[in-house]
Amino acid sequence: MPSSSFSLALLALLGPGAVALLLAIVTPLRNRISAIVLSLAAALSALGAAIVLVKGQLQPVPPQLVTIPWLLQDGIPFAEIGLRIDGISTSMLLVVTFVASCVQIFSVGYMHDESKPAQGRYFTYHSLFLTAMNILVLAPNLLQLFLGWELVGVTSYLLIGYYFKKPSAAKAAVKAFWVTKFADMGLLIGLLVLRSKVGSFDWDAAITPAAANVVTLLLFIAVMGKSAQFPLHIWLPDAMEGPTPVSALLHAATMVAAGVFLIVRGWPLFAVAESTRAFMLGLGSVTALIAATMALFQTDIKKVLAYSTCSQLGYMIAALGAGSLLGGFFHLTTHAFFKALLFLGAGSVIHAVHSNDIRDMGGLARKTPLTTLTFVIGALSLAGLPGLAGFFSKDLILEAVGEHGVSLPLLLLLFSAFLTALYMGRLLLRVFFGESSDKASHAHESGGFLILPLVMLAVPALATGYFGGMFGQLYGTAYHFHLGTTGVIAAGLGLLGLGLAFVLYRKSAEHPALLQPIARLIEFGPMDRLYEGGFHRIALPFAALIGWMDRYLVDGVMNLTGLAFVVSGQKIRRLQTGVATDYVLATVCGVLALVLYGVLR
Amino acid sequence: MTLGLCLILSAALFCIGLYGLLTHRNAIGLLLSLELMANATNINLIAFSRFRGDHIGQVFALFSIALTVAEVVVGLAIVILLHRAYRDARVGRASEFKN
Repeated sequence: MPSSSFSLALLALLGPGAVALLLAIVTPLRNRISAIVLSLAAALSALGAAIVLVKGQLQPVPPQLVTIPWLLQDGIPFAEIGLRIDGISTSMLLVVTFVASCVQIFSVGYMHDESKPAQGRYFTYHSLFLTAMNILVLAPNLLQLFLGWELVGVTSYLLIGYYFKKPSAAKAAVKAFWVTKFADMGLLIGLLVLRSKVGSFDWDAAITPAAANVVTLLLFIAVMGKSAQFPLHIWLPDAMEGPTPVSALLHAATMVAAGVFLIVRGWPLFAVAESTRAFMLGLGSVTALIAATMALFQTDIKKVLAYSTCSQLGYMIAALGAGSLLGGFFHLTTHAFFKALLFLGAGSVIHAVHSNDIRDMGGLARKTPLTTLTFVIGALSLAGLPGLAGFFSKDLILEAVGEHGVSLPLLLLLFSAFLTALYMGRLLLRVFFGESSDKASHAHESGGFLILPLVMLAVPALATGYFGGMFGQLYGTAYHFHLGTTGVIAAGLGLLGLGLAFVLYRKSAEHPALLQPIARLIEFGPMDRLYEGGFHRIALPFAALIGWMDRYLVDGVMNLTGLAFVVSGQKIRRLQTGVATDYVLATVCGVLALVLYGVLR
Repeated sequence: MTLGLCLILSAALFCIGLYGLLTHRNAIGLLLSLELMANATNINLIAFSRFRGDHIGQVFALFSIALTVAEVVVGLAIVILLHRAYRDARVGRASEFKN
């Protein structure tokens, strides 16, 4: 049934698109509750379509492609646009639409205090984001993927800057936009190189390893920006200025995972690009470690989770670098569920406490039991407690990285797993247990709109791990879980981390004396300062030089030409005296000159 | 009386007129000078007509005299207006378009 699955995919794409367009144009619709209803209806119908599509992919079927020619030049299409329905796109579609639906339901409660027009704007952006993400996910070639990629970048900018009256939010939005756009140049150049080498934007065209290395390295620069890999991770913590549900959807579960998805999609290219994958493995594991360390020293609950997202994306990149397609994508899926859960849980906590700072929290377990329960599930899943979703996917990654014996990336990732458990333990202890502060003492459990999505996400955060076989089927690779040495070590390190967190942070969020230098270093913000220094020392002087050249060389020539005519005009004007006699004299002189010319010739 | 003498007479008259045109400041003086120059050309026309033996030049001279009269009428009218406006007939005074 190719036509029905095609129309379902089209529904998932055009439903939110139509809603976004409608809400953008028709202001009265946007300013009422209709915005929420329409947006939710589109998201839920897209989710329904995605479920049916994934069910259709569980039997082995060939990928379905429906494309129309695009950008005709001399009758030959420059590229194609359309839909590709296969295991990868449908499972990603399911993740995106499921998390988006949960987040939108959550937003109904979370954004309740905003004015109606502001809510309408928020849900319009959400529908636009879902459209853009579906364009990306269902793309049949890299050009359409790029289109969706840029569109989600725009919606990310809009949603980070949702509280645009707050200067820090506006700044964070611009920062996110600049950093990711800077990285996206890699994707654009990579696409052009691919087109010139292969003649199309398809990822499964035959390509030489040398060309594949160049193309994939360029693509990977964009991935580093979008998926917040070191050293382009600096925008993600700042992006937490957006509303918390936005952080859950865009900056944890789906949009930042688009980078990983790009690699998964372009796997035929990445599979032959050995050097790029070696680089990915190294950078992914380094990012995992650095971001996990940063997460330990944050006091803002959202920033802990943001750095944790960086770190987990590092795991995914490392898995793909090690050649494990399933490992990368499986972790993307489980991470999408438990990290969205954690962010929404954090949103629920922030909603209750009215503060982002974990020092203002504490003892919430008694006051918000359901939030606590679901948050703990998410946190333990992230920490890799055996039996939860995160354990299985992380284990798959560590197995893949450790396949060829002990290596530096493996050690980095294992230590990161330990740190992950440590910072999540610290977060749990400080937020939900121990003594409550003044602000937290008045907290109470959130309403149904906030709790329902938490429960909805807690289920996959618990159980996705047992569906590895299904994911293997969608990817055409076999998946059998077996507990290897690395798995045991990772689980042990996770438990050790949680235990150490209990010892260190049971009483307060302060770090022991041994860790103080690192805390001070992170507070100093070396990366941000480096970029700022680079910006001030290199970019600004360069811009000043260019500006000087424009102002004084380019404009100078223009202005000088103009000035010459003005001055000469002013001088020549003196000849027009307005005295008739002078004109007569000039005429006489002219005639005499003509006569002289006639005589002398 | 030869053609040469006539032309010298005409050239002399013309130069006197030109000199007057360049030196006078008074509008009436200028008109007089112009009249001299016009008559110098008339003498030219008649002299050529006389020595070539046809009458076309004389016809032109008549035309020229008529036109000069019209010109003088307009010129004098301007002089009167000028005098009314400035109580003075020197053209140097009428220089308001010059900034």
